[in-house]
Amino acid sequence: MTMHRLLARQLRQSTDESGQVDMTRLVELVSAAYEESDRDRRRTDRAIKLMIEELEQTHKRAEQDLLRAREFLDSIIENIPIAVFAKDARDSRYILLNRAGEEYYGMPREEMLGKTPEQLFPDDIARVVHEQDRRVVDSGTPMVLEGHLLEVGVHGHDRVVNSRKLLVRDGNGAPQYLVGVIEDVTERITNEARISHLAHHDALTDLPNRSAFNEALTERLEHAQEASTSFAVLSLDLDRFKDVNDVFGHPVGDMMMRAAAERLVTEADGAFVARIGGDEFMILMPDDIRREDVLSLAERLVEAIGTELEVDDYLSHVGLSVGIAVYPDDGVDAATLLANADSALYRAKREGRGRVCFFETEMDRELRDRRLLQHDLRQAMEQNQLLVYFQPQARMDGEIIGFEALVRWNHPTRGFVPPDQFIPLAEENGLIIEIGEWVLREACREAASWPRPLQVAVNLSPVQFQAGDLERSIHQILLETGLAPTRLEVEITEGVLIGDFTRALSLLRRLKALGIRIAMDDFGTGYSSLSYLQSFPFDKIKIDRSFILNLEATPQSAEIVRAVLSLAHALQIPVVAEGVETEAQRAFLEGEACEEMQGYLIGRPEPIERYFDLIGINVERRRYA
Amino acid sequence: MQIQYRHWNAAHGWRGGNALREPPQLVLYFGSREGLAGGERYRELRNFYPDSHVVGCSTGGQIHGDDIADDVIVAVALHFATTQVRVVNETIESRAASRLCGMRFARQLAAPDLAGVFVLSEGLSVNGSELIAGMTEVLGPDVLVTGGLAGDGTRMEQTLVGADGEPQPNRIAAIGFYGASFRFAHGCAGGWDVFGPRRKVTKSDGPVVLELDGEPPVDLYTRYLGEEEAAAMPGSGLAFPLRIHDEAEPERQIVRSVFAVDRDAGTLTFGGDIPEGCTAQLMRANFDSLAAGAGEAGRQARNALADEIAGDKLAILVSCTGRRKVMGQRTQDELDAVAAELGDDVTRIGFYSYGEIAPPAATGRCELHNQTMTVTVIAEAAA
Repeated sequence: MTMHRLLARQLRQSTDESGQVDMTRLVELVSAAYEESDRDRRRTDRAIKLMIEELEQTHKRAEQDLLRAREFLDSIIENIPIAVFAKDARDSRYILLNRAGEEYYGMPREEMLGKTPEQLFPDDIARVVHEQDRRVVDSGTPMVLEGHLLEVGVHGHDRVVNSRKLLVRDGNGAPQYLVGVIEDVTERITNEARISHLAHHDALTDLPNRSAFNEALTERLEHAQEASTSFAVLSLDLDRFKDVNDVFGHPVGDMMMRAAAERLVTEADGAFVARIGGDEFMILMPDDIRREDVLSLAERLVEAIGTELEVDDYLSHVGLSVGIAVYPDDGVDAATLLANADSALYRAKREGRGRVCFFETEMDRELRDRRLLQHDLRQAMEQNQLLVYFQPQARMDGEIIGFEALVRWNHPTRGFVPPDQFIPLAEENGLIIEIGEWVLREACREAASWPRPLQVAVNLSPVQFQAGDLERSIHQILLETGLAPTRLEVEITEGVLIGDFTRALSLLRRLKALGIRIAMDDFGTGYSSLSYLQSFPFDKIKIDRSFILNLEATPQSAEIVRAVLSLAHALQIPVVAEGVETEAQRAFLEGEACEEMQGYLIGRPEPIERYFDLIGINVERRRYA
Repeated sequence: MQIQYRHWNAAHGWRGGNALREPPQLVLYFGSREGLAGGERYRELRNFYPDSHVVGCSTGGQIHGDDIADDVIVAVALHFATTQVRVVNETIESRAASRLCGMRFARQLAAPDLAGVFVLSEGLSVNGSELIAGMTEVLGPDVLVTGGLAGDGTRMEQTLVGADGEPQPNRIAAIGFYGASFRFAHGCAGGWDVFGPRRKVTKSDGPVVLELDGEPPVDLYTRYLGEEEAAAMPGSGLAFPLRIHDEAEPERQIVRSVFAVDRDAGTLTFGGDIPEGCTAQLMRANFDSLAAGAGEAGRQARNALADEIAGDKLAILVSCTGRRKVMGQRTQDELDAVAAELGDDVTRIGFYSYGEIAPPAATGRCELHNQTMTVTVIAEAAA
């Protein structure tokens, strides 16, 4: 019999030296050992029970965490606008599909899950999908397809998608899932195309814009240099288009612009037409086109634009001026070609608009000269180079009734610059507002100092009417100089009324209300619309000098003068004839009952000192006063 | 080396083996706090060995041979043929001074022929980990340091250490062994297994754990021990030491026993620092696994001991009070297991401690342990 080691030890501990067993001691030891064992067992049982509970709790917590994480990811996958699917790697059966995936395939997931591509798609597509799946599973490398057309689904073949498919392995490295994402990039690609189009096209006419034109020109230059060909660059400007906007407003102006652009494109016959801003266009003509063909095309364009434009019952007349530069004769780089086409355009406009001009070297010089002059004009004001001359106006019997104030520019190196050269420049850059005001002030100041209360007439530019507060400035000048408003006469051309007619009319009325007299200048040229005479009670009509000049030469001029005079008389408006140089002219006008005259016959425009006697100043007295 | 073994009990006083032919250099003794208090036993030993270093401490039970005894004081007198012995000791002022104390000891003991150090330290208020860290920082990793923290049964109230003087609280002693022939072998093993979920030390301060997974640790221990046993904490808490996981050094075995309980605060104080934020896991053992662990320690020590030994061999067994608490009458089993591994030719003495000092096999770095059996074998090589 083998005794338990512990019992043997307990027996030994209970046995005295004589071999006597102390039963009480033994029972104590054995009981204690049982107690220890029981306690150890209880402790162990309790520990195991608690441990299981705790592990279960931990497990449950972990499961809940996992569930939450899964729900979180599920909701992301479900809601991303990209189709996501997962398939069994072995047989390509669908096991997951999100909402975007349902839309992509055009069927609810219930119909797709558990099925293979063969059960879902037409044979040819199923074959492709199957091959792709096998390739990804076998190679383990993801498949990425970018920008391919949709092959399955209800959207048809009008969607572009990026798709990728990748393999997910299980814990042992064996293929488990195929995960795919399909992103519909149609909108993005469309947007990219639209942005690119916007960047290269003019929003109003949808024609290529300046940047697109520059690119095309650069390309054309490169090609022409390589192929040794020539080509033409046309610079176009719509004449009087600003008036269209002014008269009809911008919405109608925009429609007119679109209509004009359409005509250009139609007539340009495939040439590259670009709108590069405002009312400016450029055309790039095909290679090796003959000069006369370019010219005839340009003339066709002028004619097409010149035909009355009709938009929404609005009728308008605009014109077209064209400047042409030819590679390589007129320039071998883009900047020179463009500058020279512009020079030619400028010449075309200056020569009366509605014209076509080829670039000539002369133009280049003119253009540069013009820019120089414009630059000098800015300094002219500051450096007192501008002067006011006065030309007398008289009754037909020779009695002086007043003077017209005329601005003159005494250029330090060029000498006197003709007004018809620098006034348009000043109107172009707005300097006319400042110059006009200065002339007005000088004229009023001068007139106020005259002993005799003669009239003084001052020209106002249409630009002065459009910008600034003309009424206030005139009022201010009258107050400053102390000139009676009744002695001031302002001369306007019909250009003042062509712009914002209502505004101009209201301004004229207010000026007239101050007591200022209003004269219609240059009558007989331009439109000379009679409606202007009807719409405003002008104090005077000035017949243009060209009719007086030709009185003797052409019978028509006499007839026109006669007609104007009879019209004015009918309306009870006095008439001033300009440019009267001969006694014969004076006699004719007197015979026709013209009221007043102005011209070399009476006196040239001169510094006021020349006319001291006429204004009532005793020369001697003034000199020594 | 020659050993003279003596033991004392109240009935018959000191009894002992053969007198040594030559006076011993070192005397080691272990006894209960009550047995050592007052210094009577020390003075008697001093009378026996007036020229020797006499070093001892209070325990959680003395090991003499195959037996455990609480009311017996055990002593060994060692005479070395060539080995030199030096003893240093100090009263430690505060727990925070532990590392510096270890460094001072090491500087006093350091010498080119220093062959090993055996430490007996106060068991409750010293930071044993820091004490050892301070020593190894100065001595380097090649000098073996073993030993143990003094015990106080399972009461954990006060421990005593004496070195050439009466045993006193807050005292630390270290014995340096010098010479080429000194042999110093050791083994260290536990036999505990982790169980249950890993827990986060959510709040701690040095050795005091305030929260485990946001819960007062007393609640966790009460749940596992049951109300009845929990009432006997901290002693009963020794049944469930904590394994601390060092993420930086996963191989490192850090085991901490409960040393004190604050029921009001719900906190537990452990036998070493437990960093906040680390992961801890409860451990448990059964009689057989603990005995097997002790056997493993014995095997390691025996294997580490060189063959050509002259004279006697002494094995100092330092085992954790917690192990005795769990094993009860079966504690004998772990002593039997060590004895079986060491063989009959090794004299065994030792004590149940509040902390064991030895380098574990896994890291080889001298550290403080809880809940292990450590075996240190001292011998001299043949000339």
